[in-house]
Amino acid sequence: MKPILDIQHVTHSFGQHTALQDISFSVKQGEVVGLIGRSGAGKSTLLRCLCALERPQQGHILLDGVDLTTQPERQLVRIRRKIGLVFQHFNLLTSRTVAGNIALPLQIAGCPRKEQANRIAELLELVGLKGFEKKYPSQLSGGQKQRVGIARALAANPTLLLCDEATSALDPESTSSILNLLADINRKLGLTIVLITHEMDVVRRFAQRILVLDHGRLVEDGTLLDFLRDGQNNRTLQTLLADIRPSLPAFLAQTMAATPSAGPHKAIVRLVLSGTDASEPLFSALHERFGVQTALLQGGVTTVGDHLSGDMILSLEGDRTEQALNHLKTAAQNMEVLGYVPSHS
Amino acid sequence: MSPLILKLILHSTWQTLEMVVASTALSVLFGLPLALFMIATGPQGLYRLPFAARLMGMVVDAVRAVPFIILLVLLIPVTRFIAGTSLGTEAAIVPLSIAGIPYFARIAEMALREVDSGLVDAVRAMGGTRMTIIRSVLIAEALPGLVTGVTVTLITMVGASAMAGVIGAGGLGDLAIRYGYQRFNTTVMFGVVVVLIIMVSLMQLIGNSLARWLKH
Repeated sequence: MKPILDIQHVTHSFGQHTALQDISFSVKQGEVVGLIGRSGAGKSTLLRCLCALERPQQGHILLDGVDLTTQPERQLVRIRRKIGLVFQHFNLLTSRTVAGNIALPLQIAGCPRKEQANRIAELLELVGLKGFEKKYPSQLSGGQKQRVGIARALAANPTLLLCDEATSALDPESTSSILNLLADINRKLGLTIVLITHEMDVVRRFAQRILVLDHGRLVEDGTLLDFLRDGQNNRTLQTLLADIRPSLPAFLAQTMAATPSAGPHKAIVRLVLSGTDASEPLFSALHERFGVQTALLQGGVTTVGDHLSGDMILSLEGDRTEQALNHLKTAAQNMEVLGYVPSHS
Repeated sequence: MSPLILKLILHSTWQTLEMVVASTALSVLFGLPLALFMIATGPQGLYRLPFAARLMGMVVDAVRAVPFIILLVLLIPVTRFIAGTSLGTEAAIVPLSIAGIPYFARIAEMALREVDSGLVDAVRAMGGTRMTIIRSVLIAEALPGLVTGVTVTLITMVGASAMAGVIGAGGLGDLAIRYGYQRFNTTVMFGVVVVLIIMVSLMQLIGNSLARWLKH
């Protein structure tokens, strides 16, 4: 399938500072992509290039086959109407009601007044704010404001929805509800969504694919599972993943040694499972086959995109621990022995 | 208070109101586009023309630097050219407006600068034209601030119009000086001050409530 968004070798700099360096990736129709990076990684610049507010110095950005980098400003104004943008700080007009804010992109597109009212009612229903037409932004909570922001971004039937840190200013509860709403919109409308954020937790929830930006370069492109599996030696990934991965409890880390002690001991391992593996009766299998006692210390199984994914820290104890570890090494997506602790701890 | 004095005060009040309202209206009419010009051509503006912005700023400051009483006299030829006469209430509207335009322009500029640049970006990203941004974002969002600016300009014009007596424009200030000060008529002086206090308080009150209502 032809990509809806195709970024080819985009480079952009401000004076001496190179904000983006040779960025290339493409996004398929209906895909949800998370673009993650720490502050200063070039996310905002890339976003401004994607929504045609900034023209990159080199490279091409093709949206639905049209090259944004070569269009004159007059054409860009038109193209921008087909890109929905959701902002961190909502950016709603305080002088307009909820309905007035959602109407703005419709007015810009020259939609007749009667159709506007219908479309607004439809959108408010979609974002779960029925009956809020006449309220002003100052009367809404952060989560509600963002729902209005999303409704506004969807108003002109965009081909692409860009979310710029859309949940970063919200409390955890609103964050979940907004992420669910976005996932819902993706499912219902088949809309392509690019989610820009610095929080791994946000992209983990529903991004099907994750792009990692670091110092203006695209350093990774894959699924969360790929990252969990192969990210062991990648510093950038390690720091990003640290937020969402189970970490070893401090009291265990203190007593842990790199090699097994002479007396009875437990092996501490980190295990990554995916898909059907994650729902297998792992613990009983280890016991039956190797007589190994297994305990879950941290982590568990969560849903990533459409499938299950396990990321956990276990302790294994028994005479045939080494064999059990060898078995896990082949059975799991990734297995890493963190160390050994004496049995009594 | 004699009926004659009352009549004098009433007549002068009317003259003052005429000068103040007309010159404020003209100040807003010309001052707001001027402010938009300075914002739009400024360093972060929609039409970046830093040189034009700086030049306009210099002209505005130059007019504001001249004390009104001097401007009044200095502008006599201009007043005669525009109003056909350099004397009277209508004639005074010309120098009052010329002083008011840069005054309101600076106030409006401040109000417009307060508008969150994120909103401008949002509407630009939506594919709004520059005219849409000026109308629906800059002016609409700055409206409470602009209304406050109009209130301040109105009250400033009340003060400035007192000096317009120099060119025979009449008004409350002129009445207070000629009757109250030069003829030692304290009744007139007192009456004029009371009328001015009421006038200014009412303007402030209406301006404030309008701005608050617009703020949502």
